[in-house]
Amino acid sequence: MIETIYFEEEVFDHPTSLHVRKALPRADWFPIRSYQELFNKRHQNFRLQKKQPELILAKKNSNFVLPIPAGFGMDTSRNFYFSHMYNCLYDCKYCFLQGMYNSANFVLFVNYDDFFHSISVIKNENHDASATFFSGYDCDSLAFDKISGFADHALDFFYQHPDINLELRTKSVAVGALFKREAISNCIIAFSLSPHEISKVLDFKAPSVARRLNALKNLARHGWKIGLRFDPLIYFKGWEDQYSTLIANIMLDLFDENIHSVSFGPLRFPKKMYKKIVSHYPNDQFYAFPLEEKNGTVSYGSHLEIEMRCFLERELAKYVSEEKIFQCVLH
Amino acid sequence: MNYCNTVTMGGNEIDSLIRNRIEFCWVVALRAEAVPIIEAFNMKIFSNDLLYPIYLNQDNGHALIISGVGAIKSGAAATFLKVYLSIQNYAAWINIGIAGYFEDAKGELYQAIKVSYQDTGNTFFPGMRFSRILKSEVLRTVGKPQKDFSEPALYDMEAAGFCEISTSFSCNELTYVFKVVSDGPNHSSNLLTKKSVSNLIENQLPKIFEISDAIEKLVVVEKKRIHIPIEAQEILKTIHFSVTNRNVFINTYRRWKAKFPDKHLAVSEFAMYSPKQIINHMEKQLSSETDSWVIQ
Ligand code: SF4
Repeated sequence: MIETIYFEEEVFDHPTSLHVRKALPRADWFPIRSYQELFNKRHQNFRLQKKQPELILAKKNSNFVLPIPAGFGMDTSRNFYFSHMYNCLYDCKYCFLQGMYNSANFVLFVNYDDFFHSISVIKNENHDASATFFSGYDCDSLAFDKISGFADHALDFFYQHPDINLELRTKSVAVGALFKREAISNCIIAFSLSPHEISKVLDFKAPSVARRLNALKNLARHGWKIGLRFDPLIYFKGWEDQYSTLIANIMLDLFDENIHSVSFGPLRFPKKMYKKIVSHYPNDQFYAFPLEEKNGTVSYGSHLEIEMRCFLERELAKYVSEEKIFQCVLH
Repeated sequence: MNYCNTVTMGGNEIDSLIRNRIEFCWVVALRAEAVPIIEAFNMKIFSNDLLYPIYLNQDNGHALIISGVGAIKSGAAATFLKVYLSIQNYAAWINIGIAGYFEDAKGELYQAIKVSYQDTGNTFFPGMRFSRILKSEVLRTVGKPQKDFSEPALYDMEAAGFCEISTSFSCNELTYVFKVVSDGPNHSSNLLTKKSVSNLIENQLPKIFEISDAIEKLVVVEKKRIHIPIEAQEILKTIHFSVTNRNVFINTYRRWKAKFPDKHLAVSEFAMYSPKQIINHMEKQLSSETDSWVIQ
């Protein structure tokens, strides 16, 4: 449980801060000038912080919405992402946030409305094409929802704007906010999944795959459009059987019409990020695997990637129509 | 153990005896504050002839330096301790002492989790919080003993100087500031004596032991992460590595050891190998395992 909340003084009375106060009544609050003075400071130890992260409440002032980075997936003509939060409650061993930030503390930007305003502006500028706005690039979209109350705000906004899409990407089963309302046709709940055998080792603190499947199937029954994300694909002995079983289990009582899209992508890291992440786990078997570096990206290499891609495509094609399947490619 | 004998040894001998053992570095302004800590952790004087008095117990891994009063002295003493004993990067750095407080809480122990330096405006956020053991507070490091406690904070004269330097020795999460309230609006610091200062610290020893147990757990984690195993150190001592190859070797060795915990790199076997050949040897073994890679 979060024990310490640092807050920029100007957001102390913001409605989101009040929501957080109710959700974390026992936490101690300490004022700061700006979130950067804490979040960006030098000599932080990500792994030790991850044992007991603190929450920073801040106001975002610019860059609310950005074009998605190459290889994020989904072939929508206009893709953008926004991050109302940095860092994640969970602690997946392969998480690239560990290589991106110096700090494992959570930053929650409380001014959700400013994000939505920016989305409106982009929507008006791009009225000729349908745009998708991804949440969950710098965090898990729903894991923190009981504290942040973000999903309700986002869904209210996108309900009013049916011509643009929202993707909430998650491993969370904190989907209460979604059950409390009618499904919204322009909102995709995308679950990140991997076989149970590796998820139980790598997806530390995240809900089990079985619980995620349960949540996603209940949401599908409730009418929500579901995204399936196999990203990153992890290579290990017996991976074909394990992925095949996982996909079969997902599809057991999920139908093509429930599925908005399926995407998959190989394990990959920008070189600098990889070096930083490995320094967090120098003695870990997962990062002992001999990866290859090519054009500034560290990955399994084209041989294994093609093998995995072909296999996934074949398996998915058994259940899902081809136009819904996307590959997150290396750039 | 007679530490005065130890100091007469050459620098390398001090190094090999001590550098791997020290896990707690206490930086304390006054002797009266230091005495209860020195006694509690059975430290002995290392040398009286140094710039700052240093106390040690290499069996339990505690070292303490008495800095004198003031932020600059605190930072300088921490640096001296780090360099003189070649303290490793996984050690915890702890500043403990007395402080003024805006409320009447004489004798209470606080963890300072936000430290601001009045002189520079710099702010530090040392440590991980131990909220189950003690309360936390913000602290202002000031240049003179404080009479005006208008801001809701602790007031000391060292912590910011200590934080400025010590966070770079290991990391922010292994840098700690603890203060016992000695004075405030209703308790003048003029009435403090050496004895009363020592008593204030001594009365908090049960909590200080709890804190050191909690810190030790974090040090163990960090030590495990960055410590270079003896076997790899032996290879590095025997075979000449360039700086780049040294780093590649250490990283490859760690990956190799993670995959093959029961295998060994005996110096005798590899004495005739070049650094590149040793690295390739390990990479080859790792590559030969990819088909049967297990994640556990
Ligand atoms: S759920 Fe996603 S964001 Fe959270 S730790 Fe795992 S990979 Fe990172």
